[in-house]
Amino acid sequence: MIDSKQAASALAEIDDIVQRVRQSRIYDLASQMMIMWGVLVFVANIATWLWPREAYYYWLAVYVLGIAGSFAISAANQASTGVRSFDMRVLLAFLMFVAFGFLCAHVLGHFTPRQQGAFWTIYFMLFYALAGLWFGTAFVVIALAITALTLVGYFFVTGDAFLPWMAVVNGGGLIVGGLWMRRS
Amino acid sequence: MAELDDIIHQPLRLKIMAALNALPTTAAGLEFSRLKKLTGATDGNLGAHIETLAKAGYVSVDKAFVGKKPQTTVTATAAGRGAFARHVATLQEIIAGKQV
Repeated sequence: MIDSKQAASALAEIDDIVQRVRQSRIYDLASQMMIMWGVLVFVANIATWLWPREAYYYWLAVYVLGIAGSFAISAANQASTGVRSFDMRVLLAFLMFVAFGFLCAHVLGHFTPRQQGAFWTIYFMLFYALAGLWFGTAFVVIALAITALTLVGYFFVTGDAFLPWMAVVNGGGLIVGGLWMRRS
Repeated sequence: MAELDDIIHQPLRLKIMAALNALPTTAAGLEFSRLKKLTGATDGNLGAHIETLAKAGYVSVDKAFVGKKPQTTVTATAAGRGAFARHVATLQEIIAGKQV
């Protein structure tokens, strides 16, 4: 038989592993979604750079495809884990988040395309950073890195080069971040 | 008086069972590589302890090919989950001073 100190140590070991499994599953799911959103954002930024007149359609398509893809990834994960991660409540939270951003960018303020490029990226990275407070520091690291590079681009990358910069920083950043998170 | 489960009590086997029990019962289990990362064990050590747990009927091991790569998935059985829950309850009893 063991004493209470050894028993407490064994229970602490169990708690530690449970936390690591939980975080590993969150990172696994989040990395898939991050890579998908990264690809969409990369393509939309490049398309906006090449054919700026249809920019609104590209970004509308990003949201529609992103939401559909998030549901699909969630459904695929539900089959293997038994847990539903992207449900109607998450969708509503996402839509409220986007609606508030729209209010800021188009109603209260009238942002230029350049300001919008920086605003939406930083705004979404705020969401990632907040998520990181509950779900793991990798979210915070990715959010801070993308935000810092976005600000560098906003202040120092001039003219049309800003859109390809954002494609690499935002789209590419999410893809690289997702791959890094998968290995964490 | 409840007894500690000698098979589960070994430190690495305790980690393996804790990791597998952290998944919902409907989940597909954990891949060998993921389990290795979570427990910090070496290939040989982990394989040997999984075999011990499998012989006791606490885990099931599925080997399959994903593309050309072999993939081993380890899942806690109902008997394993029950044994783990009893083991944890015994640890809690020891801490509460119900067992000496």
